Amino acid sequence: MGVREAGSVRKKVTMKLQFMLNGGPVTLDDVPPDLLLVDLLRDVLGLTGTKRGCDTGTCGACSVLLDGQLTKSCRTPVAKVAGRDVVTIEGLHAPDGGLNDLQRAFLAHGAVQCGFCTPGMVLAGEALLRKNPHPTRAEIRRGIAGNLCRCTGYQQIVDAIEATAQARAREE
Amino acid sequence: MNALNYVGNLKIQNVDGPDKVTGRAKYVVDMTVPGMLHAKVLRSPVPHARIVWLDALPALRVPGVAAVITSEDFVANGNFGWPVRDAYVLAYEKVRYVGDAIAVVAAETLEAAQAGVAALELELEELPVVSDMTHALDVGVPLIPQTSPTGEGNLCATYLLRNGAPDSILAECPVILDETYTLQHQEHAYLEPEGALAIPEPDGGVIIFSNTQSPFVNRDTVAAVLGLPEDKVRSIQPPVGGAFGGKDDVLYQTAAQVAKLALLTERPVKLVFTRAESVTASYKRQAMGIHLRLGADAEGNLQAAKVTLVADSGAYASMTPLAAWRATMHAAGAYRYRAVHVDTQVVYTNNGYSGAFRGFGNTQAAAAIEMTIDGLAYRLGRDPLEFRLQNCLRQGDRTMTGDRIEHEVGLADCLTWVRQKSGWERKRAAYATQAEDALRRRGIGVACYFHGCGLGGEGEDFAVSTLKIEEDNHITLTSGLTDYGQGSRTVFTLLAAEVLGVSMERVHILRPDTHTAVDSGPTVASRASIVGGNATRVAAQKLARLLYLAAAAALHCAPEQLLRDGESFIGPSEEPLTFEAVVARAREMGLQLSVAGRWQIPPIHWDFERGAGRPYFCYVFGAQVAEVEVNRRTGKTQVLGIWAAHDAGTILYPQGALGQLYGGITQGLGYALLEDFRYENGIPQAHSFRTYHIPRATDVPEIEATYIETSLRAGPYGAKNLAEPVMIGTAPAIANAVFQATGVRVRELPIRPEWLRK
Repeated sequence: MGVREAGSVRKKVTMKLQFMLNGGPVTLDDVPPDLLLVDLLRDVLGLTGTKRGCDTGTCGACSVLLDGQLTKSCRTPVAKVAGRDVVTIEGLHAPDGGLNDLQRAFLAHGAVQCGFCTPGMVLAGEALLRKNPHPTRAEIRRGIAGNLCRCTGYQQIVDAIEATAQARAREE
Repeated sequence: MNALNYVGNLKIQNVDGPDKVTGRAKYVVDMTVPGMLHAKVLRSPVPHARIVWLDALPALRVPGVAAVITSEDFVANGNFGWPVRDAYVLAYEKVRYVGDAIAVVAAETLEAAQAGVAALELELEELPVVSDMTHALDVGVPLIPQTSPTGEGNLCATYLLRNGAPDSILAECPVILDETYTLQHQEHAYLEPEGALAIPEPDGGVIIFSNTQSPFVNRDTVAAVLGLPEDKVRSIQPPVGGAFGGKDDVLYQTAAQVAKLALLTERPVKLVFTRAESVTASYKRQAMGIHLRLGADAEGNLQAAKVTLVADSGAYASMTPLAAWRATMHAAGAYRYRAVHVDTQVVYTNNGYSGAFRGFGNTQAAAAIEMTIDGLAYRLGRDPLEFRLQNCLRQGDRTMTGDRIEHEVGLADCLTWVRQKSGWERKRAAYATQAEDALRRRGIGVACYFHGCGLGGEGEDFAVSTLKIEEDNHITLTSGLTDYGQGSRTVFTLLAAEVLGVSMERVHILRPDTHTAVDSGPTVASRASIVGGNATRVAAQKLARLLYLAAAAALHCAPEQLLRDGESFIGPSEEPLTFEAVVARAREMGLQLSVAGRWQIPPIHWDFERGAGRPYFCYVFGAQVAEVEVNRRTGKTQVLGIWAAHDAGTILYPQGALGQLYGGITQGLGYALLEDFRYENGIPQAHSFRTYHIPRATDVPEIEATYIETSLRAGPYGAKNLAEPVMIGTAPAIANAVFQATGVRVRELPIRPEWLRK
């Protein structure tokens, strides 16, 4: 690569970045601090499960968990994740590496159509259930209201999250 | 026949689901290959202009820029389009809408490509803008296309329906309603933006990965504008992040652009739209103006209808003529009439451009007629649901086009179901006696619809599926029809497994690829399950025949004597023979275990000159009830509940079918209340999801939905179609509920809060 704009006056400022990603440490030496987390994940680290849907922080397809909180990675400069814990859809799975209960519920309830919102939607469900393990259906709708889906009409997504909450409650 | 294993089984899951819930699914926007260049498009900032001067040289001097293309780089200047060939891969001589693509730059990085676009020298001479479809044909209005396809200025196409003589009947009707509706543009807002990646091949050909709905149309279009034989263009469809009709023409353009750049640079080239580009440059649902004149007798029997319809195609025809034809075939709704005339005009404007979108013209037509029917019931002092039951189509009736419906009709059952489930009578009565000055007033409304299956008079309607048993005894399935989220890959897989009596895991469906699948036309018109499903059924029956011959030979009996136990075959000796053993025997016998199945919709004929004939070979039906609450201070409408019933014949994949209903209803809710794509003098007023709002989870109520199962003998296991029509009842049901809540009759969508404030 290394192509620079001719006559560019802006000096490229870079930083060393360390953070936890999907349970393991990541260290990068030359990262522009204003690089967006979504671009770091997709273009530098090749984790394309995090989607770019709108460029304006409106659709939630780029959602990740930042210290357990649902966060839009297209609104997050990488400088903000230094020393923190990031989980993307690639980092969500059952202990044996297979699908976790929420992912399985998405399949069982027909909550997946085109799938483009799905990684962000699964993470939104996961973040909600960690904060509120026994949500009502209205609370689930509010919990995923930052994530747009154009295919499903949300109902089967609500079904999947509700069923997972109930199953987890039974296991407690 | 044994009981069905997969058809109609609620446990069947999306075959692509595991890849999608883990983020493993690779959409074209996720693909990267070494040496790949990035492309960026120069787009028109104005709605209408002549291109006076375009110089690519300054862009080529930008470091990192590898190539620039314009219309000159394509055969016949990149002219393409069907049914009207009026579009260009890149603007030729003039630009016709804001966002019209003019040139594309390929560079080492996206930033360099952007700098290249900025360096292009472009001089435009602005032309007067046509933004009002009702004045597109006025004398002295500038011509938008290069040449008029009808020879009459901005008139793109006309359609008519002539069934009986409505004038004389209407003259004698005691009750007449005369109404005009304006239906807005709607943006598809698929979550995955448009994208294409081209990889040049050693033989001078090119592979294209793109999120088009229709890989074969894509291949043929690209090959033509590149001047290549079709077999030198390979079009592959990775998983597609939503389409709803919106990923055809705009992707053919994009695919041709990256293909040309890849051939010029001998490097892979990728182009992905930003959301702003997608919202501005992609085509929309066409705006329509619909005038209806409807008459009933004193007993409330509908008599006749006269409809005139204008469709705003925008800068290019795309699929708007065909959508306007479908609107023409449905404009008077799912009712019995003695006579109906419809006259339709499709016009060019500089309002973006419009094409296919779920419902394909019937969304607009149904909105208008269902609001009118409600008004007529009100005028007659009749319950609107009862009024519909009195007039709705039943088996043996003739539709508004005069077409007699021989198959079962579930419409009355749908209306009865939504009446009962919604608590219609109780709520209707309660809301009729609300306090006039209440801050929050509620209402409940109904709408119903019919929808012709398949392409109908729009074109030849066929598909081909292939099946092959591989060396490892897996079965490879291909279809020329595609899945952009609606679930057809799951439907085809379960149908093959059902017919063959094997597990679904044994069947592996390939991604759509013009080199491995057989041309099956475009994936549009909710035709995949009937046409592609039947092709898959036919292929599976052929393969099953071969396996039964082999099993019969191995078990020393006639094929008719064989039974199945799981995947195994059982002969008179009761000894089970495994699937693998049967396959081995078939190979020993020299049988060829690969087949192709073709299926075509039974012939129909529409006479476009006379406006008469048989437009579709079958119909689906449905009814929806919406309950709303309107805040009279803010004017905001909240939908409290929706009840929906749809007659799609046998349901093949229940979870997927329900998802289609919920999703379609939600798009209809957006169309009714939120989604307002407007042009002011040709300038689009929305550019992102911040300015164009689609429903969020909190905008949508809990939906209670069902499928009324009737049977269509011609469909696979009796299935009809569902993906498109399920959205078209929602907007009028909401508008009719708003009328009960507020007394305000909606004549335009979306419903604006300022109309409802008191």
